[in-house]
Amino acid sequence: MNTIDISFWRLGSGYLLLLIPLAIMLWLRVPMVGQTMLAAVRMTVQLLFVGFYLQVIFALNSLWATGAWLLVMVIVADLSIVRGCNLRLRRLAGGVFLALLIGVLVPLLFFVLLVLDGPAALDAQYLIPIGGMILGNCLRADIIGIRTFYEALRKQEKAYLLSLAQGATLREALFPYLQEAWQASLAPTIATMSTIGLVALPGMMTGVILGGGNPMTAIKYQIAIVIAIFVGTALTVILAIRLTVLNSFSAWGTLDRELFLNEARKRS
Amino acid sequence: MQAATMSIEQLTVAMDGRQILRAVDLRILDREKVALSGPSGCGKSTLLRCLLGFVPIYSGTIRIGGELLTPTTVWRLRGRMAYVPQEPELGEGTVREVLERPFSFVGNRPLWGNLQRIPQLLEQLLLPEALLTERVTDLSGGEKQRIALLAALLLDRRILLLDEASSALDQVAKQAVIDLLSATAELTVLSVSHDQEWLGVADRIVNLAELQGRMS
Repeated sequence: MNTIDISFWRLGSGYLLLLIPLAIMLWLRVPMVGQTMLAAVRMTVQLLFVGFYLQVIFALNSLWATGAWLLVMVIVADLSIVRGCNLRLRRLAGGVFLALLIGVLVPLLFFVLLVLDGPAALDAQYLIPIGGMILGNCLRADIIGIRTFYEALRKQEKAYLLSLAQGATLREALFPYLQEAWQASLAPTIATMSTIGLVALPGMMTGVILGGGNPMTAIKYQIAIVIAIFVGTALTVILAIRLTVLNSFSAWGTLDRELFLNEARKRS
Repeated sequence: MQAATMSIEQLTVAMDGRQILRAVDLRILDREKVALSGPSGCGKSTLLRCLLGFVPIYSGTIRIGGELLTPTTVWRLRGRMAYVPQEPELGEGTVREVLERPFSFVGNRPLWGNLQRIPQLLEQLLLPEALLTERVTDLSGGEKQRIALLAALLLDRRILLLDEASSALDQVAKQAVIDLLSATAELTVLSVSHDQEWLGVADRIVNLAELQGRMS
């Protein structure tokens, strides 16, 4: 079974579908037309670039080139997370980067070395898409987790300080906020896991089927990737929070307000 | 001369470019009940928060039981004080959970038995025992203040820092709080209040506005 290739002309015709939401936007007078067009252009350019680049990486099939590409993906995800959280980049980027690296590598290596097995498992063809899927989900979960954690702390700072006054260590005082953030960040992944296959056909399974694999192989891949994603998100969120805490509190245990971009702007 | 439980020397605090406290000197003796007075904005609450290490000190020193307050010692020294903030935010959960939470902290675990004093303290603070199952977010301001005080007393600290701890209380409840604190002679209390009755039972009233820059 071969995948039907899409010619660039036919792909171009696919963009015509976008006219439907754009027309609705104009009718509703929602000022999102420019934003949507820009997003569509960005998506196209980014994916074309990645497509060309991946062709090279797959052709090279060197572990170094694959590792370097994964590293670039982690750095881009790192910067997107910190920007998405509206927090000060310099304070958080290091911690989030390390969290992402560990959170992606642990399930990825587990997946390719134990689940897939065989010498081909370390090929770019497996490492990059699987790593990318784990990373993409970590990105979403990290934004939810980090945002929930620091926003809850900012809103309930008095309760947090009361815990310190009652003799809590930093770790003890932060524990309820960590609990809340971790739960909030994992809830979407758990919901997706419990409805997978019923509500939507998951991405990896679709990919394997389109690539000519049989549905049973596709399902096995899908189960393994869902577990890897869940482990990756669980790990990165907890690590990202724990590691960013190191740069976000004073030695006295108080939350550094300079961490929040909007407050720093207000003061300046 | 009796040793001071809390000793503040030349304390200056500035926030956002504004000076909140200027060269404050204050010594509080063991078992002394001191009330801080002065106009709003003169830094009374800030002074209490400085003692807990919640406000960065620009210059000067604070000693608790003779020990200098630093980022290293603050974690241990907080364990000698109990704090009742103005408009306390007690977090989430029921009253019982809020009262039990501090005893889950490693430093307080040996005091777990103190929770047995809850019914007696509730009675002294004129609060019904049924309140224990209520959610703290559903409590009135006065109830929250008394629960915060109860939580502080359960911790058995020698120093009690009270920031307008009676501001939301009616006359009867306020008297109950005053009676309870007056009966605990071993406590050193530093309170912030505008309340005349509260100021009336203090051993000493310190006007912080007048104190700025002068020796107490």
